[in-house]
Amino acid sequence: MIRRIWQYIYTSLLRSWLKWLLRKSTGTCELQRICSGSKPGATMTKKAEYSLQSSKNKVLREALETSKENVEKHVDQILKEKEIKPHSDQLFKANLHICLLQITGYNQLYVCVEDLRKEVFNSDNPKHEAMLLKLWDLLMPTVKLESRVTKQWGDIGFQGEDPKTDFRGMGLLGLLNLLFFSENYTAESRQVLSRANHPKLGYSYAIVGINLTEMAYSLLKSGALKPHFYNSVPGPPELKDFHQFYCYLAYEFNKFWVAEEPESIMHFNQYREKFHNIVKTHLQDPDVSLTLNAACN
Amino acid sequence: MGLLTILKKMKQKEREMRLLMLGLDNAGKTTILKKFNGEDVSTISPTLGFNIKTLEHRGFKLNIWDVGGQKSLRSYWRNYFESTDGLVWVVDSADRLRMEDCRQELSALLLEERLAGATLLVFANKQDLPGALTKEAIREVLALDDINTHHWCIIGCSAVTGENLLAGVDWMLDDIAARIFTAE
Repeated sequence: MIRRIWQYIYTSLLRSWLKWLLRKSTGTCELQRICSGSKPGATMTKKAEYSLQSSKNKVLREALETSKENVEKHVDQILKEKEIKPHSDQLFKANLHICLLQITGYNQLYVCVEDLRKEVFNSDNPKHEAMLLKLWDLLMPTVKLESRVTKQWGDIGFQGEDPKTDFRGMGLLGLLNLLFFSENYTAESRQVLSRANHPKLGYSYAIVGINLTEMAYSLLKSGALKPHFYNSVPGPPELKDFHQFYCYLAYEFNKFWVAEEPESIMHFNQYREKFHNIVKTHLQDPDVSLTLNAACN
Repeated sequence: MGLLTILKKMKQKEREMRLLMLGLDNAGKTTILKKFNGEDVSTISPTLGFNIKTLEHRGFKLNIWDVGGQKSLRSYWRNYFESTDGLVWVVDSADRLRMEDCRQELSALLLEERLAGATLLVFANKQDLPGALTKEAIREVLALDDINTHHWCIIGCSAVTGENLLAGVDWMLDDIAARIFTAE
């Protein structure tokens, strides 16, 4: 309760007085202090995002809603609004530009990911079918698929004879993540599959992958992935960066599962939650950058 | 006062029920559970293991167990039979190819001793899909009329729209309540 009151007083009164005082004494505005004095990456971008969000100035708030192409224009508008000459503070302009690319890029990435999630896997679409068959070939290079509908799909961890129903709520996004992992980390994905096919410690590779896509998606949606992307991508994060994060989850979950030695697959949700909490803890670190690093293992 | 009566009285106080939801993979078990609980059903992925939810409905405390339906998990189903008051069997009404598989799994369950006292509710799910079999057709394919070991009822529903979920659960609660909470 006291914390709430304090927060209210701080945001509605004290913050603006403090900003005014600092502005008068240092001759720089809050954004300038952030973009010149903070550590680049999540620390700077998160502060800049907060500053822009809570600004009373419409020009500043609107900059958060823009697209990649218009970021430059908005940076100029902000400089004008704040009466900062571009030549006098080059670093500020460059950093503000990067911050805005990261902030707006994150929102655009979410829109793009959401569209792919909503796109239902369709067996009548030759592109979808080709991706599914490619996934098989990458994971099982020595075994030929006998037919499109076959029990063999179980060997890479789908539930039944036709994988199409397994994509469900994750749609095409689930397939794209599985495929990206196999295309870009072929050896690692086969290693994960072979461990997942362990007779006692095993799990269903593909549907666990779809569950991990759901984890990556919900972390993106809640904003929890911001520090990771702000630290690892010095510009707008793109779809491939989201896929990269999935690869990290798929690889790390496998290591986690093997190390934990669960009694059976029936305990999956309990271990999924434990793993989820570990990832969320990592994401609290302002210097976080979660990338698949196979060499260390 | 017999032991059974004491047990009945104890349960009456808590008014607690254990429902077990089973069916083939992709039948819609998790979607039914989440929809009934008022949660978002658009981002569900296949169930590995099980989900459990405890919710209050009409003054009863319902413990609903939703266990994954893929073939490799079905051998684990028996671990969840104990003290089940109601069995919810979920059918994907549009999956005509696996109806025989569905019939076999259900009839095997009905032979289980530990499910002998349970009420059976069959949800003919996905009635919103074109090509879905009607509940009458499913009643026939699953040979429900041959069942004389359990109280049963079949209800056509759609987990996505929520249609008839409440009607099904209410029927089941009434049937269970009449059996275990009514003093002799």
